[in-house]
Amino acid sequence: MSVDPKTIAALAAEYATRDPRDIVEFAIREYGPDIGISFSGAESVVLIDMASKIGGKFRVFSLDTGRLHPETLQFIDRVRRHYAIRIDVYYPQAEALEKLVREKGLFSFYTDGHKECCAIRKVEPLLRALKPLNAWITGQRKDQSPGTRSAIPVVQLDPTFNSAKHRLVKFNPLANWTGKQLWAYIREREVPYNPLFERGYSSIGCEPCTRPTNPSQHEREGRWWWEDETAKECGLHAGNVTKFQDGNL
Amino acid sequence: MHITMVKKRMRDGSDCRKCGEVTEHLRQRGFWDRIDAVVWAQEDDPTSPGVVLGERLGVETAPFFVVRDDDGETVYTSVLRLIQDRFDQADASTVEEALDVDPDDIGGI
Repeated sequence: MSVDPKTIAALAAEYATRDPRDIVEFAIREYGPDIGISFSGAESVVLIDMASKIGGKFRVFSLDTGRLHPETLQFIDRVRRHYAIRIDVYYPQAEALEKLVREKGLFSFYTDGHKECCAIRKVEPLLRALKPLNAWITGQRKDQSPGTRSAIPVVQLDPTFNSAKHRLVKFNPLANWTGKQLWAYIREREVPYNPLFERGYSSIGCEPCTRPTNPSQHEREGRWWWEDETAKECGLHAGNVTKFQDGNL
Repeated sequence: MHITMVKKRMRDGSDCRKCGEVTEHLRQRGFWDRIDAVVWAQEDDPTSPGVVLGERLGVETAPFFVVRDDDGETVYTSVLRLIQDRFDQADASTVEEALDVDPDDIGGI
């Protein structure tokens, strides 16, 4: 089974106000076993918890960039054991990574920006992870980044990787949940979580590119803090981006 | 099949950096004539057609392409993917593909 691409927008509207578990259930029913949950070692564990309780066939994959915190790696393995699931871990292509490090060193992102490093350490393995799939499930939420994620639908044709040759649907069941709702779910159901959250991290990525935030800061301020968000020249909303000032939007 | 390219025009009238690079990429490979229309997203003008189209399709950065055919509408944010998908070119390597997309556009990883 799979969803007709022409009906995706209507489906997104129909499921927009539904519980995330309904969306996960629908996604697995329609696409299992050719659907994968993207597990970054952070809050997306909630999706694994939901899917495990719903049942059915689904895959779980993680991207080990080689620069994750040890706590994140330990957490990924803890989740694997806790839910008794297989997690397919994808690594950067050695040749491309060695070339990047040889030419630009281990910390090029501090001077050249994070995009090239992310492309090699994260996007390329993601491309391989998505290749056998017809759909994937992510934990992205609107409230993670009001500037760029405010319009995420609960289901969409993948805006980056869908093509005529490879139809790919992206489910975002948590799109309309707030961080507060997500953490209520984690606490009420005793879902395991990454210990870095207890140390002030609100967004967990690679170790050199992530830092703790204080309560008055938005979570994306803990990522790539040395880069100027407003300098994204090709952004279609660049003229509308509100610059962070004094930690507030 | 009808292909629209959405480009961003800066205040000084120039293409945004990436739009310029992608246009040149298409020209050098002889594919520029395959683009049927260019729609502009004007910097600081949220009502310009390219910005409005980007909002409707959920695309955050320029350039991007909209292909309309019997199957409906397909959006491409990667020029390499457009070329291999629609112009019957050999598939690029995953590294080339990865370098061609903006990692910040990929939510959920």
